[in-house]
Amino acid sequence: MNNIAPFAPVSAESLAWLGTGPIPAAPYYDPAWYALEREAVFKRSWLQIGHVCELPEPGSFIRRELEVVDASVLVVRGRDGQIRAFHNVCTHRGTQLVAEAEGKQGNFSCPYHRWSFALDGRLLSAPDFERFGLTKEECTLPGIALEICGGLIFINFAPAQSLAEELGDFAARLEQFPCASATNFSEYVYEIEGNWKLTYDNFQENYHLRFIHPRSGAAAAGEENPFGYPVKYEFQGPHRAQTIWSNPNARPTPVQAASFGRLGALAMADGLVGPTARDYLALFPNFFVIGSPGQPFSHTIWPLGPHRSRGVIRLYWKGEDDSASRRYAREYSMASARDIHAEDRNVIEAGQRGLNSGALRHIHFQTQEALCRHFFNNVSARVEAYKAEQTARPGVPA
Amino acid sequence: MSALLPEGFTALEAFVEKWSVSGTAARAARRGESTQAEREAFYAAARDLLTPALAQLDSKPLPALDAAEKRLLDMMLSLAHVALAVEGLGDDEPRHATMREHMRITRSPAGI
Ligand code: FES
Ligand SMILES: [Fe+2]
Repeated sequence: MNNIAPFAPVSAESLAWLGTGPIPAAPYYDPAWYALEREAVFKRSWLQIGHVCELPEPGSFIRRELEVVDASVLVVRGRDGQIRAFHNVCTHRGTQLVAEAEGKQGNFSCPYHRWSFALDGRLLSAPDFERFGLTKEECTLPGIALEICGGLIFINFAPAQSLAEELGDFAARLEQFPCASATNFSEYVYEIEGNWKLTYDNFQENYHLRFIHPRSGAAAAGEENPFGYPVKYEFQGPHRAQTIWSNPNARPTPVQAASFGRLGALAMADGLVGPTARDYLALFPNFFVIGSPGQPFSHTIWPLGPHRSRGVIRLYWKGEDDSASRRYAREYSMASARDIHAEDRNVIEAGQRGLNSGALRHIHFQTQEALCRHFFNNVSARVEAYKAEQTARPGVPA
Repeated sequence: MSALLPEGFTALEAFVEKWSVSGTAARAARRGESTQAEREAFYAAARDLLTPALAQLDSKPLPALDAAEKRLLDMMLSLAHVALAVEGLGDDEPRHATMREHMRITRSPAGI
């Protein structure tokens, strides 16, 4: 017999430090606020843009378009095995160097006048280079700070702190997640008429579960916890985590039981079942990743404009599909995660349409929407600090 | 003369054409465009064969599967999608299919 303590929700008192007041609505639709977030948040935060398994060998590269900061980014594994990030921009006259989304090359040659760059960003050769009066060193590709944690690649255009410092003890936890040992992944992508924060918030509160996922999410709630609220919240700088509650009395359907049973057995055999299996990390600004080995997903929400975003969901797998069982289990895992994520999109868009009119001055978060509140507090603090910084700039009248 | 499916799974032969589909996105799409009657008939026939089918297919590495075994595997992979509709969503499946279309599958270890 399992010895499971009855569910107790996280107390309001323990979350009171986050504040309890209403939240201004404008940040969720106002283009002027969005313009500030691009500078204050996205140009100076660690952004999750890929996984080491996408760069298996020297010369492997991926190109990522970051619309929110108008940047095209090239991530490359060098001959020394090191992974680096560069702006995908030729230092001659700015042409984008690489058009392919991913691939493997020995160097990067600009299509315009054939300047050629090494995997570590150095200019190797340029036709008639003597006529420029430049040194090759002056023409290196502009680099972007890059760090890896848990197999995940993060970049930062203007880091104030290293990623490791910023993550604190979340870093060690991330190293135990399935993504840390992944060699492979499944992926699905959606676009949404929704502000990135409104979209993100949907995935860090369980208040909506029973209304939006009455069937697909049935196993996530139960009599003693009808909303499926988490067991625990944690906060680390601008980042946050929840420990997911599992319903001890869930009654899975036949194929569901067979499928998750198989996933569990494979995860156990692969050594992926550890103390972080119920951890769900929300890393500032726009990334989620879960420790569950059965549905080991990550979710990044990229702003495309004040009212539009793109979500990228991946399930990270260790090893190739070496058996029919493994292939089957992964197929079911992805399809079932996608079934749940699909249900959220419409209601987020309905929220955006409601907010766009400006009819509301404020929105509200209850205690079990604490992660949404913590997220807003952190975005807001960065935007306010940025505004103050701009006002205080010498030569700029206050 | 080779059979459509491995021995022991001939009960599924009538479903090969509809449900032996290669690629994860293609299987998800097939679920989305199927009728409730088609899904229920396939689920009823295949559900209890899932465990024996995987047990038999697991005896070989994936690249060594012959054509009949490959067909059977693709059908079991389709069952993963169909079971979510039949066991989980019931009559909400048609509405749900319109929402799923927006979740474009871009990568799968099984191919898309
Ligand atoms: S712009 Fe790249 S070589 Fe001229
Ligand atoms: Fe949801």
